[in-house]
Amino acid sequence: MNGIHDMGGMQGMGEIGYEENAPMFHADWEIRVQALHAASGSFRGGPLRPTVEQIPAAEYLRMSYYERWLTALIERLVQAGVVTREEIEQSRAARALEQTIAPVTPENAADWLLRTPQTERQTQVAARFAIDDRVRGRNIHPAGHTRMPRYTRLRTGNVERDRGVFALPDSEGDEPRLQHVYLVRFAARELWGETAHARDSVRIDMWEDYLEPA
Amino acid sequence: MAKSNSGSVDRRGFLKGATAGALAAASPATLHAQDHQDVPSDPALRVKALESVLVEKGLVDSAALDVLVDTFENRVGPRNGAQVVARAWVDPAYKQRLLDDGTAAMAEFGFSGWQGEKLTVVENTPTVHNVIVCTLCSCYPWPLLGLAPTWYKSDAYRARTVVDPRGVLRELGLQVSDEIEVRVWDSNAASRYLVLPERPEGTDSLSEEQLAALVSRDAMIGVAKVESTVDGDAP
Repeated sequence: MNGIHDMGGMQGMGEIGYEENAPMFHADWEIRVQALHAASGSFRGGPLRPTVEQIPAAEYLRMSYYERWLTALIERLVQAGVVTREEIEQSRAARALEQTIAPVTPENAADWLLRTPQTERQTQVAARFAIDDRVRGRNIHPAGHTRMPRYTRLRTGNVERDRGVFALPDSEGDEPRLQHVYLVRFAARELWGETAHARDSVRIDMWEDYLEPA
Repeated sequence: MAKSNSGSVDRRGFLKGATAGALAAASPATLHAQDHQDVPSDPALRVKALESVLVEKGLVDSAALDVLVDTFENRVGPRNGAQVVARAWVDPAYKQRLLDDGTAAMAEFGFSGWQGEKLTVVENTPTVHNVIVCTLCSCYPWPLLGLAPTWYKSDAYRARTVVDPRGVLRELGLQVSDEIEVRVWDSNAASRYLVLPERPEGTDSLSEEQLAALVSRDAMIGVAKVESTVDGDAP
């Protein structure tokens, strides 16, 4: 979706707030959100990122990073019927769940986090593009989740690498659509015009559906 | 009260009172911000409340959360990345394996985990400077760098790095000469990225371990260079 999260290329976002040797988090609750996110994979009914992206723009900009994820986590769990807002308000469970779901245990928690996910699919799928092909970002505006930033639309680049076959994230929840992902190089001047540095470039992995021959 | 019409449940879906167990989620287009006083507004209290409810329902074990926190804090992080970088500096064969398949090469150290899939290592050279960003969110190579610092996830860094990388780097204290090509990697999809920084001059006598101690997280994101040692200090 053309949401506020798709902010690559925007200006006027304020300070970066850079800190040298910045800590990984600033308050204990922040890493607790991260841990709850990790521990909720089996019962939250899907990835959180699409839900983060649905936070209304004004709210999104006001929230800190971990507030966004906490808001999305609660929203997701409410939508999945796992908790109610009243329960969270009361800090007490009002009713038991109908089905039991085995929680992540102290014994398997570290392994759970330190297992590298296998996102690449071994399925054979025909590749539409080859290395060095000229490609253009399609003029598409999916209403839901997508990994195609708007700054790549209608811009022309070169395929530098075939990443292999992955499920198109735009189809999350539906039957997975497996297709090749390509590393595409866009010249900075193609994206940002003549004031960009002639030598510079942006590289980004793009699913086949995001591209057309140029 | 103007909004208390038939659409009000959907409209209030986000941040406020979505009906308990309503599996039919509000359509994204109709989600509106509202006050959200029915859950504690202080995020620390909200997290605590959420955890209590999930523990009571048997979905979460607090001790397991403690282990996850400890794993994030102590098992992943930039010390892992620094070891990989130092090895690549002293062992050309390892460096080649790292550039060919980052995930397999970090596994030689036993490093693995979420956000470690399809790790792509990009090499800084005297003519190319690489910098990593995730414009859409916060993609970041957890096994080697741990959780991302706040500034990496800031709206300004995400927004500006693709359009004005040299300006961002300058603001963060790194001046990149006009002669050098800047490559921005928007890490939003299949791969996670790590910058292999240039080995600083005057470090020939250092051991792999001493070299690793020089490598900062920010150099592996591409917003800093690795400095040899403080001027005048013996290594």
